[in-house]
Amino acid sequence: MRRLWLLLLLGLGGVAQAHIASNGFLVARVQGPEISGSLELAVRDVELAIGVDANHDGKVTWGELRASQPQLLRYVGQHLGFLAQGGACTVQLGALQVNDRVDGSYAWLPLSAHCPSAVQRLSIRYSLMADIDPSHRGLLTLTAGELAQTGVLGAAGNADFEVYSPSAWRTLLDYLRAGIWHIWSGIDHLLFLISLLLPAVLIRRGRRWEPVTQARPAVFSILKVVTAFTLAHSITLTLAALDVVRLPSRLTESVIAASIIVAALNNVFPVVTDSRARIAFAFGLLHGFGFASVLADMGLPSGARLLSLLSFNLGIETGQLAVVLAVMPVVYALRATLLYRRAVLPWGSAVIAVIALVWLLQRALPPMV
Amino acid sequence: MRRQAFALLSLLAPLAGVWAAPYVPRSDAQVLADLPAGARHASVATRELTRTRLDIALPLAQFYIARARATGDLRFLGYAEAILTPWMNRPEVPTAVLVLHATVLQSRHLFDASLSELERALAQDPTDAQAWLTRATVLRVLGRYAEANAACGHLAATADPAITTLCVQGLHGLTGHLPGAYAAIMALPQQALPPEARAWRYSELGEMAERLGDDRAAEHWLREGLAVAPDDFYMRAACADVLLRQRRAPEALQLLAGYESMEPMLLRIAIAQRMLRDRGSVRTNDLLSTAFSVEQQRGDAVHRREQARFLLDVSWQPAAALAAAQQNWQVQREPEDLLILLRAAQAARAPAAAAPAREFLRRNQLQDARLASLGVSP
Repeated sequence: MRRLWLLLLLGLGGVAQAHIASNGFLVARVQGPEISGSLELAVRDVELAIGVDANHDGKVTWGELRASQPQLLRYVGQHLGFLAQGGACTVQLGALQVNDRVDGSYAWLPLSAHCPSAVQRLSIRYSLMADIDPSHRGLLTLTAGELAQTGVLGAAGNADFEVYSPSAWRTLLDYLRAGIWHIWSGIDHLLFLISLLLPAVLIRRGRRWEPVTQARPAVFSILKVVTAFTLAHSITLTLAALDVVRLPSRLTESVIAASIIVAALNNVFPVVTDSRARIAFAFGLLHGFGFASVLADMGLPSGARLLSLLSFNLGIETGQLAVVLAVMPVVYALRATLLYRRAVLPWGSAVIAVIALVWLLQRALPPMV
Repeated sequence: MRRQAFALLSLLAPLAGVWAAPYVPRSDAQVLADLPAGARHASVATRELTRTRLDIALPLAQFYIARARATGDLRFLGYAEAILTPWMNRPEVPTAVLVLHATVLQSRHLFDASLSELERALAQDPTDAQAWLTRATVLRVLGRYAEANAACGHLAATADPAITTLCVQGLHGLTGHLPGAYAAIMALPQQALPPEARAWRYSELGEMAERLGDDRAAEHWLREGLAVAPDDFYMRAACADVLLRQRRAPEALQLLAGYESMEPMLLRIAIAQRMLRDRGSVRTNDLLSTAFSVEQQRGDAVHRREQARFLLDVSWQPAAALAAAQQNWQVQREPEDLLILLRAAQAARAPAAAAPAREFLRRNQLQDARLASLGVSP
């Protein structure tokens, strides 16, 4: 955004303060007619709302905040309410604590509510801070069983939420599609796989490539490579998605580019000719981290992490299989031609290696600002 | 139960940055918050007065807007809005209230809403210089240069001629006449300018020098400007960018020290720390990603440009960076926004995504040396 010049601006020095807009954090877990959770408001906001700084020294201490607990509970009681389909729920607030967030300390209140019947539709009234700071919002995390949803409160009127939405199927489809799409648009993974598969229809004899005479060894060789790649990237994708292992994405992206160079150059100057499945496995581990970064961008719904992870992986395998099924029959048919052995395999691989080298340089070098 | 707790933890972790459990402080004396001026409960009583007294409401709203600009603290915009709201709900809204409300809206990047408030204001008082200037600024941010130019033209009748020159030449510099506009603004005599235009002149010169590819001159102008207006965080951020482009990360950190609370500054700190492989980067990145994820959940787009650059230059997630840059391009269209979109598209290997930016570039004949290094020209 560009600075707006004000013609009559007062010259004011500034002390730096929090840089995040005013937010409250509401967590609500629904179980039958019961709701449990917590509410957090920034100590700064609490001061504005009810006046906590008793000695007017410009600082709020824990002693001052604790002394204002009754007013705070009353204030929250007036401005926060839950309404289930059967009527209003009675809200209970517990003993005040403090939570430190990156932008400062928050007053943290445990909360429970009892509703007339099992909650299916929840309406939340949230008018905390509304008259003092209309840009204040309540950031809601609502969980019921395995499903979690988020919402923004306080913009206008009540916010309504369906508590039991059968979105597991939806989740599955969404992540399946994302997985398929990523293997198609993630051309680097495809180039790696193709580099490994191009020689699968040939056999290295001495210093020459010869076509396989039967389909069986070719199919077997393809199966081995694809299985090894799948197994390897599934392992690391799972580990990374569940936050067990984490690698800097610049590193994984660079190594993925390097893996393509290695696989492609191996076709031009063959070193490993009989166990490409091992290369597929070793580098597949790194490609898994690459997939994981896409998943990290999308985010895993917390209630359905395993389901979405599984669907995403299934999507990747589907996309991959489609590519193999489309490319390999053509390659198999061409295998005996001189064109394939002398041109497509070595020169095609060389081109792939060059492309990957460019990516490697782009990814490994520090950014230009 | 454990599974639920785990699910919850994983959801909140990015929001909280580092997961910290609530606790009961050991001592009553522990300080939980330092209250900035104007953000105390006592001020709420004054705010009550502003419901009926325009002579109190206007300066107080102006004060909060100024605080928001000087500190980057978005809460102050909310306080200003709270004061303006009762006046906005009246059948006849005072022009000054409309103009201030438009200022708040443009600070929140709600540009269309800001423009319609300004239209109302100008319908009431076609000679309101601030309204024309704000309108020119918003239209310039949106890349609607011809309309912005018309708004600048309306300034001539009421504002200082130097203000009109800055307004008009600033636009010429974006539409194919960069060297001429640079010379015209340089020719404005610094001493004769009204005080509010001095920093503006330096800022415009600094940005133009950057686009001309003269980083030495850019640094000179921006440092001069910061001497006049140390609180101008646009100039400070621009100056940091000039330093970072020359890989002078330690100097950039020095320039930004004390401004960590503003996301645009924190972003440049993160980039500098990356260059230096500084350990502090973990916390900086944590702060930034938390701020961005909270903003995203709120549905705000105030720092989408910074977010795109963070994803590209710090955490290296080209696909996500491109998505953010594209969203940002829907909101604002300054050279910086063009640059991040083109770079992200290149990094994500999605040249088609940059087509709108290329079209914009071609249509406006925008000249920018930083684009040349990307292999792009109008």
